[in-house]
Amino acid sequence: MSQPPDEPVKYIESKIHLPYDYVAGDYRALYMRALADKKILGSRCSVTGKVFVPPLMSSPESFAPADELVELSDRGIVTTFCVVNIPVIGREVELPYVAASVALDGADISIFAMVQECKAEDARMGMRVEAVWKPDGERTGDHTDISYFRPTGEPDAPRESYINRL
Amino acid sequence: MKRPVAVVGVGQTHHSARRADVSIAGLVREAVDRALLDAGLTHEDIDAVVIGKAPDQLEGVMQPEQFLAGALGAHMKPLLRVHTAGSVGASTAITAVTHVASGLYERVLTIAFEKQSEGNAMWALSPSLPFTPPLVAGAGGFFAPYCRAYIAKSDAPAHIGPMTVVNARENAMRNEYAHLRETVTLEEVTESIMLWEPIRYLETCPSSDGAVAMIIASEEQAKKGPRRPAWVKSGYSYAEAMWVPGRDQVSPRAGRDCVKHVYDTAGITDPWNQIDTAEIYVPFSWFEAMWLENLGFCAEGDGWKVIDRGDQRFGRHLPINPSGGVLCTNPIGASGMLRLGEVALQVMGRAGEHQVDGCKTALGHAYGGGAQYFAIWIVSSEL
Amino acid sequence: MTQLRNVAIVGFAQAPIVARDEHRTAQEMLYPQVRRALEECGVSRDDIDYQVAGSSDYIDGRPFGFVMALDVMGSWPPRQDLHVEMDAAFAAYYAWLRMQAGDCDTAIVCGYGKSSEGDLDRVLNLQLDPFYLGAIGLDPTSTAALQASVFMEREKKSDVDLAEVTARNRAAGARNPDALLREATSPDDLAATEWVAAPLRAGYLAPKGETAVCLVLAAEGKAESMCDHPVWIQGLDQRIEMQNLGARDLAVGGGTELATRKALAMSGLATAADCDLVELSAANAAEEMILCGAMGLDPEKPQPVINPSGGALCGHPLMMTGLIRLGEVFRQLSGRAGERAVPDAERAMAHATSGHCLQQNLVIVCGKDRRWT
Repeated sequence: MSQPPDEPVKYIESKIHLPYDYVAGDYRALYMRALADKKILGSRCSVTGKVFVPPLMSSPESFAPADELVELSDRGIVTTFCVVNIPVIGREVELPYVAASVALDGADISIFAMVQECKAEDARMGMRVEAVWKPDGERTGDHTDISYFRPTGEPDAPRESYINRL
Repeated sequence: MKRPVAVVGVGQTHHSARRADVSIAGLVREAVDRALLDAGLTHEDIDAVVIGKAPDQLEGVMQPEQFLAGALGAHMKPLLRVHTAGSVGASTAITAVTHVASGLYERVLTIAFEKQSEGNAMWALSPSLPFTPPLVAGAGGFFAPYCRAYIAKSDAPAHIGPMTVVNARENAMRNEYAHLRETVTLEEVTESIMLWEPIRYLETCPSSDGAVAMIIASEEQAKKGPRRPAWVKSGYSYAEAMWVPGRDQVSPRAGRDCVKHVYDTAGITDPWNQIDTAEIYVPFSWFEAMWLENLGFCAEGDGWKVIDRGDQRFGRHLPINPSGGVLCTNPIGASGMLRLGEVALQVMGRAGEHQVDGCKTALGHAYGGGAQYFAIWIVSSEL
Repeated sequence: MTQLRNVAIVGFAQAPIVARDEHRTAQEMLYPQVRRALEECGVSRDDIDYQVAGSSDYIDGRPFGFVMALDVMGSWPPRQDLHVEMDAAFAAYYAWLRMQAGDCDTAIVCGYGKSSEGDLDRVLNLQLDPFYLGAIGLDPTSTAALQASVFMEREKKSDVDLAEVTARNRAAGARNPDALLREATSPDDLAATEWVAAPLRAGYLAPKGETAVCLVLAAEGKAESMCDHPVWIQGLDQRIEMQNLGARDLAVGGGTELATRKALAMSGLATAADCDLVELSAANAAEEMILCGAMGLDPEKPQPVINPSGGALCGHPLMMTGLIRLGEVFRQLSGRAGERAVPDAERAMAHATSGHCLQQNLVIVCGKDRRWT
């Protein structure tokens, strides 16, 4: 028997590894598969007609089903954004980068996306952006099929179109 | 509420980045023992326990109240475990109030804790979620765009965020339990690294270990002493859906609805003049201005002006976060209950060096999720 | 004793339990149940004052999993809300307290979670004290086997007893369209299944499953118009014990015994045997016998009927198993139990549990009549 240690035990280290096998849901799966064809799908509320992207099965606003799938533009406006200076787990990206809320044309809620090909100091609310897709043959039908968004060079959207939405 | 309810004891731990001197059980016990001592009660007097904390992934223990039941003195007692994201500390205390208001329980122990140092908080709060692209690290990246939207809507000058931090740090100097007890200058804040523009490093809450407990009791118990209680005039928790088209994340409707309900039931018609101090949940600098508006302390767009004038500083018209608040101490799950416990101490007249003179009515507030969960109470020195 | 309000269960909707729903997320599974429960009550979402849910971040495999459920619970305009990190039966308990406090008259109680997504033995290992119990790799089956072993030794129970308890539940589950296992099985067949952790065989363990549930509660004055046969809550209580397995007498359900006694006292009943049926959240056959002992029930007697739904032994969706017991009590007492209806049932008891080895237990007594005047 060895001597007990002089120092009491203060910590135990425990590495937790838990595998999960998540269900995407048929709606989300259709959305992701469509990305492989450079299509962005949303769903339309059966009562208000408002469009959700990625598609939701029901409207959180009206509590009604949103059971009609619609195809959306891959262009939209930056409604708000932040400039990030710390690395994100699981993604290689040059710092700083712009993380933005993007309202796609025809959608009533925004998606959160990365904006590149744009200096951080040039990013602004109301800026028009478009999706930059992975090349044909490399898209696999998941969220990495849109590499990022970039400015289109179109005139900025008017302030009233974004100031009250995120 | 069916009958009056009071806070009769408050206890909190000293907070720091790593409380290496205690286990999780030791940490919660420190707060519980202090609350019981404060109330002049023992574990035997407690009828039920209500506990809250933020995601279990922070410490890597699922439903930790189960292994903590012994340390909490909960053996053979009713126990509820609440989780409402960042607002949880506050919604937990309100859940305890319900227990007493129901008439079924006389003395309820409520506690909230987080021992962030035991896990990897950055990982726990921004894991790689299924079917969602990883985009930003940490809660700051999520909330920074809301701050930018606030600045754009209200035309707030850039110095308001940093100014809020300078004041919070000054306040924490008067709070012996606070985690960050070091003043900073406007220049130091402005020159600190920009993490998620517009939020800089020094405009961000710390990551803390800590716990807070309260004893919530009936009128009969409260009148037995040993100290003056804080009477709970009203308390509610509200939540709203995330993907509502046009949802206002800058001034969420759930916050406005919740505080209106609280004011209506507490008889508050002019919060700016009727409330003597407030502890509100400000994890990032700009949220102080945003919540001043959301809570109806000023008109929409005027929150930053209150801060610019300094009317929310200690010793001024409406001291906000005299404890230093979340910007100086952030054990996530406990942060909301600290807000509610601090205002209870204020109306009891026992907040120590950061006591607001003549404080009779005070508001405690917390929020969580994507600015979707709100829990608010008003306490008073008078029944 | 304080004056209490009569509160009733007025609606319940549950999707049939499945091992895994490959097509829908937990939220997508919940949405139709919330709609169904409200439609059954003939009310709109805005008629409900309060919402409360029970789920677990570790079952969901993500922090803040419950936040996404707000979007399918009809949380717009904003609602008075709470979420408990517990079986949703405890959420029902809290909604009842909230009504006693006078803060609401109607509530929806939701339970959800996809147990199939994670490795449950590894997930539930994390419930244990990380230093002494979790670190040695115990999981719910091994802790349950330790408990069963102590109990069987003390009470002189055998493998045959476990097989018979399981077979009775499986026969009942065959009549429950929402059960996961819907085939009666003989004690002999069950006793031939493999050992998982002796004295527990595979056949004696509750099969994990997933579903989504929504229960509607309403106070007197509102309940009558929402349901043809409101089922009134007459008494309830819950207790937690310390976790340390070595410090508890695992053969005796001490917390269940106390909670049952308190719930019965509130309901004005002398013994649990005054109930016509009892629904237990027993995750294995030995637990059912321990619970019966703690409640003072003799399963040999015809009354009360134990687990007319087939119980958790015919489908065990974590975080919902307890609320489903309460839902079954509602179905039985309101004439919605179909071919498994217990004849002339007037009163019933539902049980929920949380943690390893029946650590925390909730008992709710319900009846066809109002308790308080």
